[in-house]
Amino acid sequence: MNEKWNFTIYLVWFSYLILSAALMFGRGFLLSRKTLNDITDCEPLENFGCDGYSKSNLSDVCNEEEKIRRILANPGSEIACAPTRQRVVFILVDALRYDFTEYIPDLENPLPYQNRLTIINELLEKWPKRTRLFRFMADPPTTTQQRVKALVTGSLPTFIDASSNFAALELQEDNAIDQIVRASGKIVLLGDDTWARLIPGRWLRSHTMYSFHTWDLDTVDTEIDSKIYKELEKDDWDLLVAHYLGVDHAGHRYGPNHAEMTRKLDETNNRLKKIIKMLPPDVLLFVVGDHGMTETGDHGGESKAERTAAFFAYRGSGFGGDSDSIKTGKEVQQTDLAPTLCAALGRPPPAPCLGNLLLPVLPPLPMSHTLLHLSNNLKQIKQYLIRYGEESQQIPLDRLAQLINATREQIDKAATIETESELSIYVTDVRALIDNTRSLFRDVWVEFDSLYMMRALLLLLIAIFFNCLIAEGLPMDRIPQIFSSSFIVSGIIALTVCVTMCYTAFYLDLIEDLEHAILLSTGLISGVVICALVILHWNSITQRWYETPLLFYERFARAALIGSAVLLVSNSYIIEEGVCLSFLTLSVLATIVWHIRTIKAVALWACSGVVLAVSRSYRGCREEQGDCWTQGGGVNSADPASRAALVLALGSVAAIVAVARRHIGWRGHGVVVCGLFTCAHWAVGWGNLGSPSRSRLLARGAWLVIGCIFVLLWREDGRGAILPLTVCGLMFYIGNSLVLGVAYAPTAALALLSGILVLYIVSTMKNEGSTKFALSTRCSSSVACLWALMASYYFYGTGHHATLGHLRWAPAFHAGDPTYLPIGHEITAALVTLELFGMPLMFGAALPLLVLWGPGSAAVGPRSQLTGVFVLSLKFTICFAIRVFISALSATIHCRHLMIWGVFTPKLLFECGACLAAFVGTILGLSLTTWHLSTQQRQS
Amino acid sequence: MFSLKNQLELRKVTISSLLTCIYLPSIVTVVSFKGLLYSVGNGSSFYILVLIFLAELLKSFYLNASNDIQAKRSKGNRIKVSDILRSFIFLLVTLFSFFIGIMLFGAPILDCHEETLMLSSLMTLLTVFPLIAHSGVEASMQQLFGMKNYGRDSITEMLVNNSIMTVCGAWIGAVVIPLDWNTPWQQWPIPCYLGAISGYLLSNVLTVFKVILMSAAQKYPVINFIVNFLNTRHHVK
Repeated sequence: MNEKWNFTIYLVWFSYLILSAALMFGRGFLLSRKTLNDITDCEPLENFGCDGYSKSNLSDVCNEEEKIRRILANPGSEIACAPTRQRVVFILVDALRYDFTEYIPDLENPLPYQNRLTIINELLEKWPKRTRLFRFMADPPTTTQQRVKALVTGSLPTFIDASSNFAALELQEDNAIDQIVRASGKIVLLGDDTWARLIPGRWLRSHTMYSFHTWDLDTVDTEIDSKIYKELEKDDWDLLVAHYLGVDHAGHRYGPNHAEMTRKLDETNNRLKKIIKMLPPDVLLFVVGDHGMTETGDHGGESKAERTAAFFAYRGSGFGGDSDSIKTGKEVQQTDLAPTLCAALGRPPPAPCLGNLLLPVLPPLPMSHTLLHLSNNLKQIKQYLIRYGEESQQIPLDRLAQLINATREQIDKAATIETESELSIYVTDVRALIDNTRSLFRDVWVEFDSLYMMRALLLLLIAIFFNCLIAEGLPMDRIPQIFSSSFIVSGIIALTVCVTMCYTAFYLDLIEDLEHAILLSTGLISGVVICALVILHWNSITQRWYETPLLFYERFARAALIGSAVLLVSNSYIIEEGVCLSFLTLSVLATIVWHIRTIKAVALWACSGVVLAVSRSYRGCREEQGDCWTQGGGVNSADPASRAALVLALGSVAAIVAVARRHIGWRGHGVVVCGLFTCAHWAVGWGNLGSPSRSRLLARGAWLVIGCIFVLLWREDGRGAILPLTVCGLMFYIGNSLVLGVAYAPTAALALLSGILVLYIVSTMKNEGSTKFALSTRCSSSVACLWALMASYYFYGTGHHATLGHLRWAPAFHAGDPTYLPIGHEITAALVTLELFGMPLMFGAALPLLVLWGPGSAAVGPRSQLTGVFVLSLKFTICFAIRVFISALSATIHCRHLMIWGVFTPKLLFECGACLAAFVGTILGLSLTTWHLSTQQRQS
Repeated sequence: MFSLKNQLELRKVTISSLLTCIYLPSIVTVVSFKGLLYSVGNGSSFYILVLIFLAELLKSFYLNASNDIQAKRSKGNRIKVSDILRSFIFLLVTLFSFFIGIMLFGAPILDCHEETLMLSSLMTLLTVFPLIAHSGVEASMQQLFGMKNYGRDSITEMLVNNSIMTVCGAWIGAVVIPLDWNTPWQQWPIPCYLGAISGYLLSNVLTVFKVILMSAAQKYPVINFIVNFLNTRHHVK
């Protein structure tokens, strides 16, 4: 009976279809910016003749001033290098929010982060000419790597980069560091190794350290401190980059409202004092934050608090800039840093740069030099506009032409500027023009590959539609027969042929994009194969539909699932999705109970309602939920778990293990050991008295036991599939509690509890008819929809939210730091994924229980049981596929929406993750069932 | 499904539904003209409940009183104190279960008790109260849970339909709460409150409409098609 595995193969096939379409959608949707490999170069002034042309034959002698004027008068000339060079100390304090640097006098009860950087205020009052303090506005996504990229290239980051934060790739575009190196400038790098990974091999000396040990507040900072003062004494460098991480890590671990933050800011203050004391008067000092942080200390999103960083500049012999532009607290864009840094070091802005020169943080320049810098900036932008127009059709040509003309006009105007007042007007004009360009590009870089997206949506639609027909239409008694026929084989052959043809075509250079071709062709061919199956059995499908009228609760459950998916089109429902899902789950359950109409069912319904209501208290809130957020609903990741939370967590695990172990035979011992390890891990690691290292060891022990039990699940003992499936669910429960941590572990217990309650309700549903009828009732769509709604709800029920800022990294480190291991990244990713999507995984793995649970299920043969499990699995996964489809559709519809990056895209990503987890769980559950049911049959 | 057999019952159903279609909108209109529509969640709007209570009571008197021939035969027309007491307790129990149920569905648990209480009393008043007033505690319980077709006349049918539509209305009303429009009527429990009222109203309108269509169908058999359609839709089960 090898055909029994055909069900599992089909489910894998279906999951491949859905996930490949989702991947394809992501490729069209998340990629948005075209990177150009151009570089800006400049001619040294000596190479220019007095007529303003480079390499001219004129051999007159003229002074620098006249030469620059001539160059300006000649708009077609090359970019000329500015004649002056400064040395720059660039200190990046990660997550230095603007209000950390603000000084509020007479503050009675300063928060832990307020009034700590006193040196900045002292200097501002003492030497207003030498200091500048600005708000330094970051563009989202506000993650460190994206910010560093944006700071050095002066461009805007794209969203896709946010997901590759843990695997930094080398920067491909022209950037400030390359510019400086090209003019044989020497750069010293200290601190975060993100820089070394992004831009390797450009450094005179570099002392970098791994940056993702977010619980380690001091190592990187002390390492920098041990080097930076020596480096300041030397003078063989032109740019000194130091990237401090302590403030960011203090934010991640404790949040800004914590004594640790005070300590880190005080340290920063002393550091700055010392550096400024040692600084030679002609060296520029830039102290910037790359992003801010929210009130919980996280970052990544686009809230004001995350975007507003600080920019402090100091130079012993004073800055230029007119009175208007030097006001403390003015907003400047982070894209402005790259051209400014380049200008300070006598280089033109990097090619992809879209920033303004910040004249107020440059030394006082003669007017001709200022104009030269400005025209360099304009010429580079004009060049970029032209090149971008050539390479990509993202921007409408007329707007591009308009901008190029405006830029040309400004370049022409540079030669006519004579007086200071004219200059200041000119600077304002240039700034307005560049801001305009920047905002145009920002709009356009949310530009999507609509072809990819449409194809992906089409593939999703085909896969979902035909599989709905199969799951809903094919009569239950014919399914085993159909799946043991040549259907699966022919499907596999079709896919293989497809892939082979794609490879051949790729080998013969007929197609360029292999991955895309494979995804598209396999998706289409699967559609055709499944469609053929549907057509062949069209008669029986229509007959079944004709014969079985839908009950009200069936219709309602489907409507509720579709409704829950359609809600993803509206941002306010996405924000409140936790509430909506629990509402819908309870409603579906209510209609089922209304159908059953027994006191027991009503009581079970009330219990599951209470469980859902209790899980409400763990559902934090996201920033968009104003009231809840300001009341501190979002601040829970920062503080350590309370004693009550520990007791609750220990109690929940102990209770579930104690109740469960009696009913699962010899596997119960494994569950008990596992639960003991988990409880010990929490108890030992709790509070100040705990021992973190032992606690980690215990967690590793727990994981080891979980792994062993997972292997042992496959031991055949001929007692059916219910026990292994239950144990599998329990293992997922304990794994989830481990990664959720003490504070959230009870939510996993709540999820398990409501799952069991629903299981009982569903088995009540079955008891009223004959056995055959019961099987088809139990694998009806309403059950699948209910289960899918619950699995989706518990994403929120376990305290998550669909924002990137809510990602918790702590689970990756609960069993020690995996980053030292060779497969560290994989372990980190797996643990974080389990923490996020553990619930769909658990519910997916426990899905076969819905069919098998209860005394009556033995009445039907293993073959029908397996069929029932398969149909239910297919329906369950279709539910998730529908949700993915609708959220992809809503991302397509809303691609110009204000909240596309804040709300819709994260939702799409999390929905895909949940879908993946559901697929993995369901396939695991189905294969466990298949494995164990066969044994039974062989014996009988 | 209504039957045309009993013309008297049908007339009573129609008239009581028409009465509802008149009195309920008038209450809502007056309240909204007074500018008090958004305070329906407060205890101060208790008078609305009292008005509805009185109206429903009068309606049930009308429905029962002219039911001479059958009612007199089955049980004495005398109302006993113990009956009233039992109905009262039953109403309280229903009120409490509505209260708990609404909370389980997502109403705030720790605060807004007053608002939730107002909503649950409205729903008790619109769903269970007319049934009890019409057919007593046991019969109405049987109508609601359990034996579906036991002694069901057109009036009970209408009342059960009304209560189901009321619950559905309140359920649908909750849909607008999460939206970020920041309007005053999105406050808890106004959408559910108004949703319950409109569900009740809609059910009554449908009843009237159906009866009219049915009488028309006697003359023009083509309309039967619409009647059947309405019957399958309206009768949610």
